Amino acid sequence: MPSPFSINGGACVAMVGKDCVAIACDLRLGLQALTVSNNFPKVFQYGDNVFLGLTGLATDVSTVSDLFRYKVNMYRLREERHIAPRTFANLVSSSLYERRFGPYFVSPVVAGLDPKTGAPFICGFDSIGCIDFAQDFIVSGTATDQLFGMCESLWEPGLGPDELFETISQALLNAVDRDALSGWGAHVYIIEKDKVTKRLLKGRQD
Amino acid sequence: MADRYSFSLTTFSPSGKLVQIEYALNAVNQGPQTASSATEKKSSSPLADPSSLSKISLITPNIGMVYSGMGPDYRRLVDRARKVSHTGYKRIYNEYPPTRILVQDVARVMQEATQSGGVRPYGVSLLVAGWDEGILPEGGEEGSRGRGEGESEGGEKKKTVGGKTGGILKGGPMLYQRGYFPWKATAIGKSATTAKTFLEKRYTEGLELEDAVHIALLTLKETIEGR
Amino acid sequence: MPEVLLGITGKDFTLIAASKAAMRGATILKAADDKTRQLNKHTLMAFSGEAGDTVQFAEYIQANAQLYSMRNETDLSPSALAHFVRGELASSLRSRKPYNVNLLLGGVDPITHQPSLYWLDYLASLAPVPYAAHGYAQYYCLSLLDKHHQPDITLERGMELLTLCADELKRRLPIDFKGLIVKAVTKDGIKEMPFDNDKVVKGT
Repeated sequence: MPSPFSINGGACVAMVGKDCVAIACDLRLGLQALTVSNNFPKVFQYGDNVFLGLTGLATDVSTVSDLFRYKVNMYRLREERHIAPRTFANLVSSSLYERRFGPYFVSPVVAGLDPKTGAPFICGFDSIGCIDFAQDFIVSGTATDQLFGMCESLWEPGLGPDELFETISQALLNAVDRDALSGWGAHVYIIEKDKVTKRLLKGRQD
Repeated sequence: MADRYSFSLTTFSPSGKLVQIEYALNAVNQGPQTASSATEKKSSSPLADPSSLSKISLITPNIGMVYSGMGPDYRRLVDRARKVSHTGYKRIYNEYPPTRILVQDVARVMQEATQSGGVRPYGVSLLVAGWDEGILPEGGEEGSRGRGEGESEGGEKKKTVGGKTGGILKGGPMLYQRGYFPWKATAIGKSATTAKTFLEKRYTEGLELEDAVHIALLTLKETIEGR
Repeated sequence: MPEVLLGITGKDFTLIAASKAAMRGATILKAADDKTRQLNKHTLMAFSGEAGDTVQFAEYIQANAQLYSMRNETDLSPSALAHFVRGELASSLRSRKPYNVNLLLGGVDPITHQPSLYWLDYLASLAPVPYAAHGYAQYYCLSLLDKHHQPDITLERGMELLTLCADELKRRLPIDFKGLIVKAVTKDGIKEMPFDNDKVVKGT
């Protein structure tokens, strides 16, 4: 139980749809079995259509999300343009590997649309920055097993934005209900060409 | 009197000049002539093997650099530029730096040599030309690509399209005093002024690559003649 | 862990309560310990954890908060302070000898008068919360507060909730924590609240 990845709990999932992507996370922050807060989002926005989900040790979720806010802001000032999801993913990877022998205990997920082609992009990482590119979905957190099961059965290719919202929400909500360490509400982002929709799911508060 | 202020790199003279740095700029004009990304190939000795002489260097697969001034200084800068394009960019983002970023990095190296102790400024001017992958969506003029190569350039045009940067032909003839900025076509070196006047007459928007090369060579020919 | 830290926000105030016992192993060294430090006019921090670390860290933060106020003739907001403290604690976490300190940071925004409460543990996990506790008190009090707390309660109701929590702690905590020091943060500043620690609570 004293694994840094499962002290605070939390779950995150990203999915590809037709000309859109979705990323969602739960809101729990706990200490082992005790829930401390039900308002701890794990998905962060960096620019128009680049999103980062972070599960794992809460302190590192904050540290790493702040670190990338700094790095992406500096990138934007230096290059006078927004960072592209794939470029951001490589930045995440190299930044995590920089801490190879004293890693941040987080499992990041990146989701976004390529600004040039509008193609969906998602990928996941281990805590030292190995990238896992996927064409369908990426899951992370203490409910990974449950999320894999839900995504494997609910996801199908070519989902439109509304269907994708329903799919990712049901996948997350039902996965966290079978995990004691995550849940307590959720944030869901649906990212389309020139529209981002953020929805708050109340979820079960137990 | 001026001698009294010419020892330290970083001591201003009463007239507000940094004399040592002016000397470095003078060194540039001793060097070979360069126009756009074409350059003359002439060495000091007739015994040198011409095939071993190279002044145009690739920094990344899409960025080339050419110089006027002192050859050894240039080769050090090429090394630094190649190194920094990896350590400061490719190893972080897994892609090569856009031309402007590379130019800024090289410019920083050169600026630091004008303000640090124990060093002398680089005695070169550089021209950096590059072609960048744009990040804007396709369509709407050729907005997606900033480009460079030779003097052909829609670099400025692209900038206005989306407010984004991108690669542009860069010229650095005033690196020391004024920093760098993008050019459509320019020249550095001994007869830079004449060459630039010539280029102003010949340059047009939307040049084809072949025409650009032709104009560059014409410019060189025009200014070299009689030497 | 046997140290009690409690925090409650309401309509226009934040209440912070801390146990008065200073303990060393099984011995109580002091029965009137104050485990809180005032960071500026409207921000208060309560701390528990390893003996030497707590006061050292809290006063370091206090000194920096005061230095900021002197230099800039403005106070940092509770949110800014919370993130500053988190940064200090987070860099300490990966140092050779990390501070072992848990904190509650309560305040009222000097401009908007919005009350706020931040929960911070020694790992530098930071969470904004409506009510919070540290140590064993969490297990007894959070469920009580889940049931009885409302975001718009008055200061009087806040004190009632604290009494409710204190009673429960007296009833169920096996050790004597020597009562609570209670402080209220409002737009007018921080003041200590009278609290009846002599009330006898019968066991079940």
